[in-house]
Amino acid sequence: MSEVVFPFPFPEHLDLILPEIIMAVMGMVVLMMSVFISKGRQHIVAWTSIATCIAVIFSVISVSGQDASMTFYGYFELDAFATYAKILILVATVFAMLLSLNYIKDVENVGEYYTMMLFAVLGMMLMVSATNFVIMYLGLELMALCIYVLVAYQRDVLRSTEAALKYFILGALSSCMLLYGISFLYGSTSSFMYVEMGEIIAASGDDARLAVLTGMMFVLAGLAFKVSVAPFHMWTPDAYEGAPTPITAFMSVAPKVAGLIVFMRVLTDVLPGLQEEYTGMLIFFAVLSMAVGNIAAIAQRNIKRMLAYSTIGHIGFILLGMIAGTSAGYAGILVYMTIYLFMTMGVFGIIIMMRRDNIQGELLDDFAGLAKVRPGYALAMGLLMFSMAGIPFLGGFWAKYVVFIAVIEQGHIILATLGVLFSAIGAFYYIRIIKYMYFDEERVSFNFAKGIPIQATVVLSTVIIVAVGLYPEPIMEVCRTAVIGLL
Amino acid sequence: MDLHNVLDFPILSLAIFLPTFGALFIWLFIKDEDAIRWAALATSVATFIVTLPLIFKFDTTTSHMQFEEFHQWIPAFNINYQLGIDGISMPFIILTSLLIIICIVSAWKCIQTRIKEYMISFLILETTLIGVFSSLDAILFYFFWEALLIPMYLMIGIWGGKNRVYATLKFFLYTLAGSVLMLIALLAMYFKAGETFSMLAFMDFPFDFQWQFWIFLAFFIAFAVKVPMWPVHTWLPDAHTEAPTAGSVILAGVLLKMGAYGYLRFSLPMLPDASQYFAPMMIGLSLVAIVYISLVAMMQRDMKRLIAYSSIAHMGFVTLGTFVFTVQGLEGAVVNMISHGFVAAALFLCVGVMYDRLHTREISDYGGVVNVMPVFAAIMLFFSMANVALPGTSAFIGEIMVLLGTFATDVDTLPVSAKWIAIAATISVVLSACYTLWMYKRVVMGDLIKDTVRSMSDVSKREFMMFVPLILLTLWVGFYPMPVLDVLHATVENLVEQSTTSKLDAAAALLLEHVPAVHAGTH
Repeated sequence: MSEVVFPFPFPEHLDLILPEIIMAVMGMVVLMMSVFISKGRQHIVAWTSIATCIAVIFSVISVSGQDASMTFYGYFELDAFATYAKILILVATVFAMLLSLNYIKDVENVGEYYTMMLFAVLGMMLMVSATNFVIMYLGLELMALCIYVLVAYQRDVLRSTEAALKYFILGALSSCMLLYGISFLYGSTSSFMYVEMGEIIAASGDDARLAVLTGMMFVLAGLAFKVSVAPFHMWTPDAYEGAPTPITAFMSVAPKVAGLIVFMRVLTDVLPGLQEEYTGMLIFFAVLSMAVGNIAAIAQRNIKRMLAYSTIGHIGFILLGMIAGTSAGYAGILVYMTIYLFMTMGVFGIIIMMRRDNIQGELLDDFAGLAKVRPGYALAMGLLMFSMAGIPFLGGFWAKYVVFIAVIEQGHIILATLGVLFSAIGAFYYIRIIKYMYFDEERVSFNFAKGIPIQATVVLSTVIIVAVGLYPEPIMEVCRTAVIGLL
Repeated sequence: MDLHNVLDFPILSLAIFLPTFGALFIWLFIKDEDAIRWAALATSVATFIVTLPLIFKFDTTTSHMQFEEFHQWIPAFNINYQLGIDGISMPFIILTSLLIIICIVSAWKCIQTRIKEYMISFLILETTLIGVFSSLDAILFYFFWEALLIPMYLMIGIWGGKNRVYATLKFFLYTLAGSVLMLIALLAMYFKAGETFSMLAFMDFPFDFQWQFWIFLAFFIAFAVKVPMWPVHTWLPDAHTEAPTAGSVILAGVLLKMGAYGYLRFSLPMLPDASQYFAPMMIGLSLVAIVYISLVAMMQRDMKRLIAYSSIAHMGFVTLGTFVFTVQGLEGAVVNMISHGFVAAALFLCVGVMYDRLHTREISDYGGVVNVMPVFAAIMLFFSMANVALPGTSAFIGEIMVLLGTFATDVDTLPVSAKWIAIAATISVVLSACYTLWMYKRVVMGDLIKDTVRSMSDVSKREFMMFVPLILLTLWVGFYPMPVLDVLHATVENLVEQSTTSKLDAAAALLLEHVPAVHAGTH
């Protein structure tokens, strides 16, 4: 009887990857369930997916915080940073699924929709835990492919398919750029492991400099594409507008979190020796994103397009935290993303509710007179808009505060001044929505979609935004501990 | 930490949050419109009563902060919930809580739509205003300062006049763009002064001139928009004209004072050298406001616009008094602000009373009002005279003190002799008589020609009651200003001391202290 011999020693601490395993298995289970469950009872599939995400949140929490944070020979890391990012991604997904419950139920193949979401999340979880470019890229593509499909989910709608096609082509282009950049870095360091590459790059002299800088530029540009940083933001408004609204909500938070985490890991682990070089590039990205996001949004008539530009603007502010390059800056980014998550989910929840027969209220005009018809939702929307504009006593103020203070600590006062001025310009289009809701007379009447899940999402998001605005300390504390191991 | 609080009771917190609780209560539990009015009135009266001990227990002998409170709020950034008031901030808190009552009374009949939202906005506004005047932590101050935009934006936009959307957007964006620069300045000071946001620490910390220069400019933009000073005043006539009566009252009565309060609380004590350096510019802008804006006021056809421009001119007196760095000038500036809080508020109420009857603010639509509204005509005459700063009214005390203070100033950076500045400022006394009395003549005096005016009825009991406290206070401060000056005196003397003591030597000493330390570190 011969003994089975593994070519490698069996990986230790395999439980760290348990959440991902649950996710992968449940993704397949959900797909099977949808085949065997009758058409009228497909909501069971949806609730199973939500339960899966919640279970995975708990499993992430339970397996993290051990002494060991690496598994698979150091290819997979679940540190505090990745843990927090995964929780954010999963919470966003739960919200997006709650928003989908009523929205998606009329179409065929509900199971595929949720399966795609679960696999997209699996991809993101791999991305944030990856310690090398190969795993990161696998996760990225898994996520991206699922989201391309989700954007095109309403395949009979022209706008939706067009958006997905644009997104796919530009997404493929950006993946190429990313791979091209990685190849340069690999060529200079003959490694894929972040930390190892970073050490070699830091130690390398001027000989490899050109290759390394070229690689850095392409990698950062590719990542910038994924998180819709200007000037690589072109796909964002179209994809946002064309996607089913819950997917717009999903893709404006979860992939952004994953992308930004990878961004931060690449900066801190791979490129610490090139801080001067990449800071210049990031300043360019940040200023352009803040400008494009906050100025172009003013011209939009469709709220989904407007929120797409708003995302670009927010990412611009988030980049300020990376420019600071300190743990305060990175913690600020996590704070910002957390607050941004709740603001976005609340706003999209309200947009989804505004339906009449098959007409979706997504023009700004559709909000006219909302305060008279639905004072509660108008209040929630108003608070969320003030929060997006960064007015205190709402969470959005602290989100901006943490990144601005981080960047000022590093002496970039002019950059911070530009930032606050752009945020003041951006305030215009947020408060314009309040103008429609409160100052104008009703033009189109909507039968509001009912549904406790959506209502709960809106109410919960708004309450959290107000609570964080009044007492932000807990969230700041959590984010600060999450970045301790990063630098 | 040693807190000066004679009451051993968080009275400032109660004054700040009582209106919010009232607003929450109204939001959650009250449906009936009359009940909403009464509940809002009860809340505002209760808040006023809560602020009264601030007067009676106030220690006029010290410039130290009083009624202090301190709690940690966001330890991550050393942001604290730190409250306290001195002689400058106390009168404004009283003024706020008093004017809010009058605002709520004035809206009793004329606001008929969305009465619930209206009262809630007003009470939230009261919270933010009292918060601004009692904060001793810079971020807490900024928090209230910005949060105030939300109720004000809604108030002008929902209950305003025809052009309200334009006016409220302009108001919001103007003031937001101004104050975000202040945030940058505060964050920069946080690191410079050793990771603290305490305003008292900022006052003590020696900033060198380079820092003072830039921070002064950032503060200047934020406060100048709020005051408003020429040339960033253009939002005010629009906002005033379109706001509902009570909105104009609180805007003129309290909101404008926040900018001037900012100069007194931030610029002067924290940045004395830059304040001296920029004094000629500030005095110049004040004179432009006093003279040029008075002329502009004269040409207005809309009563509210006229009073709005007159407010800008009066605030010019305030900034003039602030930047002459004398005790008389500064006390005059504060008295002027308080007096303007009574007088401008009352004039806006007068316009509101007429507007409720005829629904027009055009001067040419009136004429001969005295024939049908004799009591009202007497009230309006009184406040018109007060606006002209007739002796016996509070405005006289304020203006005469500012002028005296300007004569006595010894700021050495001025390009011309101080007496010429005072003389130029005196022109405004004539100009304000021109525009105020001319408006009064055209509106109230003359024969009763227009049929619409004939149908106007005199002030009701409710309307009369809201003028009574303002008349009494205007006369009281006009004839016997000592109690107010007593409250101010210790604080203002300390402020003059702070703002005329250069921080540059200490800054240089601090720099020298650090240089050897750095060298020692390298070895």
